[in-house]
Amino acid sequence: MNAPQHASLIGQRIPKMDAPEKVAGKTRYIQDLNLPGQLYGLILRTERVHARIVSIDTSAAKALPGVRAVLTAADVPIHPIGVNKDNPPLKGDKVRCERDEVAAVAADSLEIAQAALKLITVEYEDLPPLFDPRDSIKPGAPVIHEAKPDNVAMAFDYAHGDVEQGEADSDVVVEDEFTLHRVTHCCMGVSGVIADFEPVSGNLTLYSNTQVPFLHKREFAEVLGMDPSRIRIIQPPIGGGFGSKLDIYPFEPIAVYLARATRRPVKLIFTREEEFIASPTRQPAIIRLRSGAKRDGTLTFRTVDVLLDNGGYTSWGATIPFVMMQTFSSLYRVPHCRYHTKAVYTNNPFAGSFRGYGNLQATFAIEQQMDKLADALGMDAYQFRLKNAQEAGEITGQGMHFKTCGFKDCLETAAGRSGFAEKRKALGAAKGLTGIRRGVGMASMLHVGGGAKIYPSDGCGTILKLDDFGHVTIMTGASEIGQGSETVLAQLVCEELGVPMSAVTVVNNDTDITPWDVGVHASRTTFIAGNSAIGAARKAKDKILAAASTVSNMRAEELDLKGGNIVRAADGEKVMPLAKMLRQLHFSDKAELVMTTNYYEPPSVHQDKGFKGDVSAAYAWATQVVEVEVDTDTGIVRLLKVWAAHDVGRVLNEMGIEGQIEGGIIMGQGYALCEDMPVVDGHLVNPAFRDYKLITAPEIPEMDIQFIETMDGEGPQGAKGVGEAPSICMAAAVANAIENATGVRITSLPFTPERVYSALKGKLQ
Amino acid sequence: MTAIERYLAPADLDSALAALAGGNATVLAGGTDLMPQINAGKVAFRPILLNIRRIPDLRAVEVGQGRITIGALVTITELKDNPVIAKAVPLLAEAADHFASDQVRNMGTIGGNVANASPAGDTLVPLLVLDAQVELASATGRRSVPMAEFFTGPGRSVRRPDELITGLSLPLPRLRTVSRFVKFGTRPALDISAVSIGFSATLDSGRLSDVRVAFGAVGPTPMRGRATEAVLEGAPLDAGLIAKAAATAQDEVKPIDDLRASAWYRRELIHNLLGKVLSDVVSR
Repeated sequence: MNAPQHASLIGQRIPKMDAPEKVAGKTRYIQDLNLPGQLYGLILRTERVHARIVSIDTSAAKALPGVRAVLTAADVPIHPIGVNKDNPPLKGDKVRCERDEVAAVAADSLEIAQAALKLITVEYEDLPPLFDPRDSIKPGAPVIHEAKPDNVAMAFDYAHGDVEQGEADSDVVVEDEFTLHRVTHCCMGVSGVIADFEPVSGNLTLYSNTQVPFLHKREFAEVLGMDPSRIRIIQPPIGGGFGSKLDIYPFEPIAVYLARATRRPVKLIFTREEEFIASPTRQPAIIRLRSGAKRDGTLTFRTVDVLLDNGGYTSWGATIPFVMMQTFSSLYRVPHCRYHTKAVYTNNPFAGSFRGYGNLQATFAIEQQMDKLADALGMDAYQFRLKNAQEAGEITGQGMHFKTCGFKDCLETAAGRSGFAEKRKALGAAKGLTGIRRGVGMASMLHVGGGAKIYPSDGCGTILKLDDFGHVTIMTGASEIGQGSETVLAQLVCEELGVPMSAVTVVNNDTDITPWDVGVHASRTTFIAGNSAIGAARKAKDKILAAASTVSNMRAEELDLKGGNIVRAADGEKVMPLAKMLRQLHFSDKAELVMTTNYYEPPSVHQDKGFKGDVSAAYAWATQVVEVEVDTDTGIVRLLKVWAAHDVGRVLNEMGIEGQIEGGIIMGQGYALCEDMPVVDGHLVNPAFRDYKLITAPEIPEMDIQFIETMDGEGPQGAKGVGEAPSICMAAAVANAIENATGVRITSLPFTPERVYSALKGKLQ
Repeated sequence: MTAIERYLAPADLDSALAALAGGNATVLAGGTDLMPQINAGKVAFRPILLNIRRIPDLRAVEVGQGRITIGALVTITELKDNPVIAKAVPLLAEAADHFASDQVRNMGTIGGNVANASPAGDTLVPLLVLDAQVELASATGRRSVPMAEFFTGPGRSVRRPDELITGLSLPLPRLRTVSRFVKFGTRPALDISAVSIGFSATLDSGRLSDVRVAFGAVGPTPMRGRATEAVLEGAPLDAGLIAKAAATAQDEVKPIDDLRASAWYRRELIHNLLGKVLSDVVSR
């Protein structure tokens, strides 16, 4: 008799577990959730961007029937939030940007709450504003936060080697200034929260879209002066995160204050306009970059000076220099590097964290200069990169240790499949400023792929149980924010326990049930939560096989789990059904349930004070080549094709990883070509999808996506994180392609038709 | 938001005109312009909300006596798909294909697009070059206004508050008529024009006659390019004439700087895109 073959699930195309509900439009988001007795909360935002609050009159709003509470800073404890603790949820003394919350209302209906907001009058006394970060650091500039009289929210300095020596060693030196604009995440699900105090115990349940529930809980406890164990966070299905939900924001404590004041559940959901105005953005940046190389094409040094427009307050996003410096110091082998960044206060909307975390900005600068250096040396742009690319085994100046590294494979694959070198030469020879021109551009990236040890722990916990029928429940700290983590975790566990996907439930959205995880960020969930889940599954498997060994008179090592059965490892011959074994364990004298726990902490280290150290357990690499068409009569840039080669360690779910990469490319395309948030005198001009241009279906290019499998020794089944990687290269690659097509290099984003046309006409300032 | 005191959805035109007679009704057809404007607080409801969608007379498309009449309730999707329209005035069908998204096209109507009087309205530029007449009716009578005289400013027209647009009447294009429509925005779909150009003329032995040129989003109203038309009328269409026409067009438009484009860029686009249109006409 032939034993049944059980194909591995790894690398298969597995539809996301949440897809059927979402496709059917049946997913119940926070918008769909209503609690008995619930009130509706709304926030009154400032009309001024830098002003002292003279007085707030809420008496008319309070008198409106159906209004249950009207709160201002005077009614709540002053406890600023954010990384610098500079953002009081309700502003009492002054306002510093368009988002600022000056009052909040809870009412029986949304309509009453809207009417009440209109009845609140605020008297302001304007203060001189700052809109350009270059002005913020001038001597005598107005002060935005009294605690930071120089307007510098955060500063970072990093160095390795001796850049003066590097400069002396250089045959060619180039220097440029790059200007990066402001964009936002555009999550399909807008921000929202429901705050609910249990009437007697006073315990707080928050229904929240956060992507960091355990850090959130801790920060809420601080802000509210509560015992953290009395706060429970439940995450309804989240309509996208992309980093936007990494911080606590004023609207969340405000909802809690309203619930506390009214003793009723309070639901506070943004409108789309509010989402544009009051959710975070990517950091606008001004990057001055100077790089050198020897005649033989060896890179010699880099000096970097970055000015980040922090906006009015400081979010986690102000720490993006951590990631930027990795790219400057370590994407290529650079013997000497010096890096300085300031994130400075302005009266603009404040920036937050966004997929890529500074790496899009850094890569935009570096990869344009790689082309410039190659051209200055008379070298092929691809060969120049290949010569300086990192390899496995390298330990960089910043202390990152590349145990696996598919960079050269990525370069070779993307260049080879696109015919990059030949096309760049031929199209470059035909470049011009009339008619329709074509060009190709290349960019590569390095990003953490095995977590990032920023917090005291970068770990994730798993609790796993099997019931009497062989059904597995995975309780994981890792949140699902649309990225497909629950599907990958289920797949990894199924692989260990030999059960089908249909036999698994993932519980990942309740801090009272799930064990701790640091949160969804740094492309870490598959790697960290995946290893944690595998560990829990292996412990369960050991228990089951030990029990099976006594029943079958075989050694545990001779047994395995496949197809829902306990089988002989050697030939897959069925020994007994898994469910039967579980029941025997449960109802025998042993009376045991199979339940295991596991906590995985990656073998990475904290950086020292100089930002050096092997901060991630693995590193992801990618090269993307784009081909564009530039219409010189209008300046419109059409993206024709993208060739993407990604070192992903190993493909776990091919359908999921394709989705991640396609989505990331499109997000990068929007950043490069059309997304923009013009802010005039501190006010966002285009808070609507009509005027904020996302990429639509007709502009999405053909994609050739290739996976480089380096089988990382520490990765779950060899995989690395890939969530952020695909969005990082696009803007740089498109910039290089426009130069290849027209001979005009544009160092400021986005490449809208008017900006490109102006540049072609020599009119870009 | 003003409270709506009465909602009316009459099934015949006379009842609708009677409801409009007091001039205190808001007309609702597709709602694709009205509702966003209401929600943004730019427009307030009047006491009567008058839904005209149940009036069958306003949906007709008829050809006769050298003209085509298109009812005000004909949707943008019908403009795109109706074979009678596609045959008689293909330029209008082409413009409909560049209009917003499927969802908006299914609801939005040609009468609404004209009534909204946006300088960037997608059907207005083709209607201008097709020499359309706007058919207006009120309880006291009917009148026809040429498109070129209809608009008075952004969102404003000669339509009185007691008048309803019942349809558009267009002369059927002559034989050997060539026409073009170009819409330029940041992206190919779901975008409001930065500029648009309509062109129609009879081409005979290398010369253009009956030339009509119109521009969108380059002034307070969609506009006819009279100076450009004069340059092109009757002259041999060669490279020199194309350059002269493009330069004339660039001078006669009156664009402003706004979120979508600067005035300078709009003039450049008008110059370059009209040049492209005319070159394309020559080469055909």
